[in-house]
Amino acid sequence: MIRYPSFIIFFLIVFVAISLYQVKHLITQKELELSVINKNIIRTESDLNILKAELSYLKRPKRIENLAKNQLKLREISAIDIWDLQHLVDVTKSITESNVK
Amino acid sequence: MKINGFLHNDFSIKNNLKLRRIKLSICSVLLIFSFTIIGYKTFSLASITKANKNQISSKKKQQSLFSKLNRGNIYGRNGELLATTIDVNSLNINPQEILNKNETIKKLNKIFPELKEESLWRKLNTKKRHVNLLREISPKQHVLLLEEGIEGIKIEAKDKRIYPNNNLVSHILGGTDIDGKGIAGIEKSFNEKLLNGEDITISIHNGIQYITEKIMSEQIKKFDAEGGAGIVMNAKNGEIYAITSLPDYNANNYNNINNQNLFNKATKGIYELGSTLKLITAAVAFESDHVKENDVFDVSTPLKVSSRTIRDFHPLNYRLNIPEVIVHSSNIGSAKIAKKFGTSTQLKYLKSLGLMDKLDLEIPELGKPQVLKDGKLLTTMTISYGHGIAITPLHLASATATIVNDGVKIKPTLLISNSKLSNNRIFSSETSKKMKSIMRLVVSSKHGTAKKAQATGYLVGGKTGTAEKVNQTGGYSKKQNIVAFTAAYPMNDPQFVITIMIDNPKGQKFSFGYRTAGWVAAPVIKRLVTRISPILNIKPETKVSSDFTKDLNNYKIRGKKKGANL
Repeated sequence: MIRYPSFIIFFLIVFVAISLYQVKHLITQKELELSVINKNIIRTESDLNILKAELSYLKRPKRIENLAKNQLKLREISAIDIWDLQHLVDVTKSITESNVK
Repeated sequence: MKINGFLHNDFSIKNNLKLRRIKLSICSVLLIFSFTIIGYKTFSLASITKANKNQISSKKKQQSLFSKLNRGNIYGRNGELLATTIDVNSLNINPQEILNKNETIKKLNKIFPELKEESLWRKLNTKKRHVNLLREISPKQHVLLLEEGIEGIKIEAKDKRIYPNNNLVSHILGGTDIDGKGIAGIEKSFNEKLLNGEDITISIHNGIQYITEKIMSEQIKKFDAEGGAGIVMNAKNGEIYAITSLPDYNANNYNNINNQNLFNKATKGIYELGSTLKLITAAVAFESDHVKENDVFDVSTPLKVSSRTIRDFHPLNYRLNIPEVIVHSSNIGSAKIAKKFGTSTQLKYLKSLGLMDKLDLEIPELGKPQVLKDGKLLTTMTISYGHGIAITPLHLASATATIVNDGVKIKPTLLISNSKLSNNRIFSSETSKKMKSIMRLVVSSKHGTAKKAQATGYLVGGKTGTAEKVNQTGGYSKKQNIVAFTAAYPMNDPQFVITIMIDNPKGQKFSFGYRTAGWVAAPVIKRLVTRISPILNIKPETKVSSDFTKDLNNYKIRGKKKGANL
């Protein structure tokens, strides 16, 4: 009568001890993996920041303005360059009418 | 043996066994129960559940788990990167580990020509175990260094805050110290968030900022001025699209810049902005019961108050109505209007417009206005045309926005999400409507002081201001001016406010020696409006006779020679 529960308790203790060891081992392993992943994330983030910074440097307004002026031969837009669509239709219509006449 | 001894006690065997069985059963149940709980808890802690999944993935949790998190980035309103942190490598060496110093110096000199042989020799011949040779090396140099295989070399990675746009918006971004802690601007105000890896998006528009800085710089150079400030702000929600203070500096060199360049003239510098304050005087007059809309003010003779004589820059020999006082920028007229509504009314409105307190902006570099509050009539009169009150250009932009935003107060902000529309009405809609017309007339009328601000196709309105600069020893300098212009457009429904200030421009040959706001500041507004409108999607006015323009004909603005009395 005494032995039966004692064995159960003994095996239970052994089982829990092994389980705890396994879990602890697993967690330690996962923490290491996580640490490596985290380092990679930080490195990748830093690389991304470098790329973003390079892109931002290339896209800086002063450079774009110089490229537009010197390479594309563009000039600054003025109010007379902006046309309302209806205005454009009216002008086209009047030109067509004058041609017909 | 022990058990047997125990069994031979005085207790009966039967009762004893029963008692033991009960005890053992209780113990077993308790033990099983305890181990079940421990086992359950162990597994539940080890496993990822829905409840703790979000917690683990949050950035804050990550920070507690890992020691290092990159400082957050700062972005402009269109997602342009303004500030970020990258890893840079520094070059260090342990002189005690070097076998052949001559060879090492040769190898190092080949990769880093900037390192002089003499200096290297000195550094390598110390008893120290750690000597820094270069604070930053490029990735290419790092690779070459590895290929050379120099003994004793130690490459250490460290964070570096960089600003890819160099000078652009540098006063607002601020800077960090060598430990990566924000010490100025947005970097300081949002230090905690940035340290936690959170990104910040500010309301600055890169393109508008660049154009503002460029046009301002050109004008400052043209008039040989000391510097200036320029602000482009949304008139309806206070979002700042561009804010510049010149001279500026490269944000990447924050710690090596002199204090003069670091000073933010737009938000911290306080200046007497002259006649631009007449806009407030006129708006208060329209609100006041003591001034009637049709009141006229004689400006034909200089006004003597106490020991001082108030004069006009362009004297007129007749009585002006309120719009004419503003269009002609009459100091005498403005002083007389202020006399009518009185000191307490003036101070009440200055207070409600926020012109007596620091602004509540998202950077620490903010200037506190200085307002003379001696209760004297002369002070009330001079404040009416911008003397005896020193405010920041951003204060003026905020007040202008309030006037044109239907009279509802506008609080400037550098954040997009922070732009809560206020319900704090300062002026009535009627007053705002009149002020918009008067501001337009300052630019469009042939008698206005800001004709040079007229940008073809756009309904620009505003007010010029030219004030003598305050001497460091006290009193006003006759030779040095502060010129300002505060504008809004399109005046039929103002979308943007532009306020600029130029410090100490010099008269030029092409300006016939003039260094007033009409000559110096007004052309900046014209160029700015023409350049930024297509970006801001503000279309030019195609209908010449819009209702707003027609209404302007109701205002009677007479010229210098039209001396007929009203």
